[in-house]
Amino acid sequence: MAKIIKIKAIDGSDVEFYDEVKASGGMKDVYFSPTKQYVVAFFRDAKLNNPQNKDRLETICNSYKERIFNQVGGSYWQNLLAWPDKVVQHGGLIGIVVPFYPSNFFFAKGSINNDFLGIRGKEKNGKWFVSAKNQNRHLDPQERGDWFKYFQILINISRAIRRLHAAGLAHSDLSCNNVLVDPCTSGSGLIIDIDGLVVPGKYPPEVIGTPDFIAPEVLATKHLPMVLNNAINPARKLPCIQTDRHALAVLAYMYLLYRHPLRGKKIHDADPVKDEDLSMGANALFIEHPTDKSNRVKVNDLQPSQLPQGDPQKIPYTVCGPYLKKLFDRAFIDGLHNPASRPSAQDWEDALLKTVDLMQPCQNPKCWHKWFVFDNTAKPKCPFCGAEYKGQLPVLNLYSSRRAGSFTPDDYRLMVYHNQYLYPWHVNRNISPNEKLTAEQKKPVGYFVFHGNKWLLVNQRLNDLEDKTEGERIPLNQAVEIADGKKILLSKEKGGRLIIVQLVANV
Amino acid sequence: MRRLPVYILVQTSGAMRGEPIEAIKVGLETMVSSLRQDPFALESVHLSVITFNRYPEQILPLTELENMQIPAIAQPTAAGTHLGEALEFMCKKIDSEVVLSTPERKGDWMPLLFVMCDGRASDSQLFQQIIPVVKQKHFGSIVACLVGHNPRKENVEQFAGSVVNMDTADSSTIRSFFKWVSASVSVGNRSVGAADEIILPPPPPEVHTIV
Repeated sequence: MAKIIKIKAIDGSDVEFYDEVKASGGMKDVYFSPTKQYVVAFFRDAKLNNPQNKDRLETICNSYKERIFNQVGGSYWQNLLAWPDKVVQHGGLIGIVVPFYPSNFFFAKGSINNDFLGIRGKEKNGKWFVSAKNQNRHLDPQERGDWFKYFQILINISRAIRRLHAAGLAHSDLSCNNVLVDPCTSGSGLIIDIDGLVVPGKYPPEVIGTPDFIAPEVLATKHLPMVLNNAINPARKLPCIQTDRHALAVLAYMYLLYRHPLRGKKIHDADPVKDEDLSMGANALFIEHPTDKSNRVKVNDLQPSQLPQGDPQKIPYTVCGPYLKKLFDRAFIDGLHNPASRPSAQDWEDALLKTVDLMQPCQNPKCWHKWFVFDNTAKPKCPFCGAEYKGQLPVLNLYSSRRAGSFTPDDYRLMVYHNQYLYPWHVNRNISPNEKLTAEQKKPVGYFVFHGNKWLLVNQRLNDLEDKTEGERIPLNQAVEIADGKKILLSKEKGGRLIIVQLVANV
Repeated sequence: MRRLPVYILVQTSGAMRGEPIEAIKVGLETMVSSLRQDPFALESVHLSVITFNRYPEQILPLTELENMQIPAIAQPTAAGTHLGEALEFMCKKIDSEVVLSTPERKGDWMPLLFVMCDGRASDSQLFQQIIPVVKQKHFGSIVACLVGHNPRKENVEQFAGSVVNMDTADSSTIRSFFKWVSASVSVGNRSVGAADEIILPPPPPEVHTIV
């Protein structure tokens, strides 16, 4: 056993760790504490042990942390952001103390064949899950989770990034290395390595990012000097909120589609390093660009283990539904070389939440995605396994009232499946499912069941529920049938919604 | 999908007999198992092992990590350290195994080369001839690790970008070297510093970086 080193943090508190590197990142080496309540991560480069960096790290551990965590509902963020607690200096190096990650972010099963890779107990680095090869060939099925969980993970990540950006902070090195995910139990995501935070105009970033996630303008200008005439060179693009938005879009594409949005067949240079820089930088081009087809994926270039996910012909990005398609278009077509057009973290959170309401469980028990997004057709089918949906499928179109007596569409649909719950944010336009929800607002208000060959909505907590077509109030613990064309009022309160039912029958 | 080819050259002449060769075997196993725990490496790294004494032999052709079994390395008996011939042999293997970029197809990443030897070349004429050929192969990086008694750095300095010297070729030193090799192989997927240089993890404390 390595010996225990005892030091004092800069704030005077005691810090202990085993003198043995347990993990190494691009910049830091990580040591474990004996209590396993925290880890100590030292920056390998002694040059970073300078007053400016010390000041930056202390600001992150103190005022920035307070700005986010010491607010009403601040504790919510502890599950999404692994924020450093304190700064330490030891052996000429500077480091940070970070809380140990919750146990669901470590593999319980690991890989197939009784964990032939030996990853049980290791961190669930996002790369395990965004790679088709790792999904198809390596991970134990119990670790892989279903498609719904990846939406939940992305909602959590977008929410955490939205909060950072709202505080004026950029993560600057968002990548699947710096996001731990748990698709098998909770669908949660945890942003780690928050020590690289960039505050516009205050501290220059220490990193430019991680390959695959670096924004094109940053890669295209990385050869330029940082400082010109004693000032930051304006031509040199560095990580900021807009580059975080690029990384977030890449993460979303990779978590949902298991391939990289810019990695296609187009050759930019015979030298692989230059080719890589150009294909992710100055010449970056979306592999599913609607008109410029020069960077399409050549299926013959893929390994068999990358299929079928690697082939956009088989599984195009439109399987993610209309709301996300719009955002991918903004991120990889309009905004790829025009940072101001990129969707914000808030845009992603909203679109993901709306998409979740379009999801249907696949009826094929062998389908490993288990869920798909309703494709707006009369004959819905799972794009992953090809199974057609059999039976009646209710689609609820949500309307809300902006002035008394008239309801206008909200561009919001809710797909119904057996045993699905209805929540307050479906009932009222002014409620959004985010960290501000009260405990009461997190509870369902009704549920849907397919019973006696009919679709029913059972009222649990809706005082105003009314079948407008029949002109009947539906009291608590009673059900209303969901039939084609029916109008159902959910709430009479301000922002309250009306449902108009469409029934897709596929028998 | 680009592959990252990694070539490992191991000297197996008499000078390596005993603890050094045993430690190298264990080190290779450790390296493969730690690379298998890296999801980035699993996607891209392909490994080849070439041993050499009087003759070179490719005991492991370029193979992806998940399918890899490190073959047995026999206890060295033969005298003669034909480093030049080994490098020539490896260059031919690279020509046949590594995919170059063409206007139609993306090629592999530039290969990495790790050489473990005592730095002697009994075939000095061939060795001198082959150095320019090695340099033309555009390796991503070449690391030479000197082991054995009285290692000579002059030869390997001519082609290796970095040379590390092990004071003692005991098993723990060699294992820490291979841990460093796997960390160096993985480094391409980590955060890139704003100064645009990849900072390798520090070599293990027992190893001295000479160049």
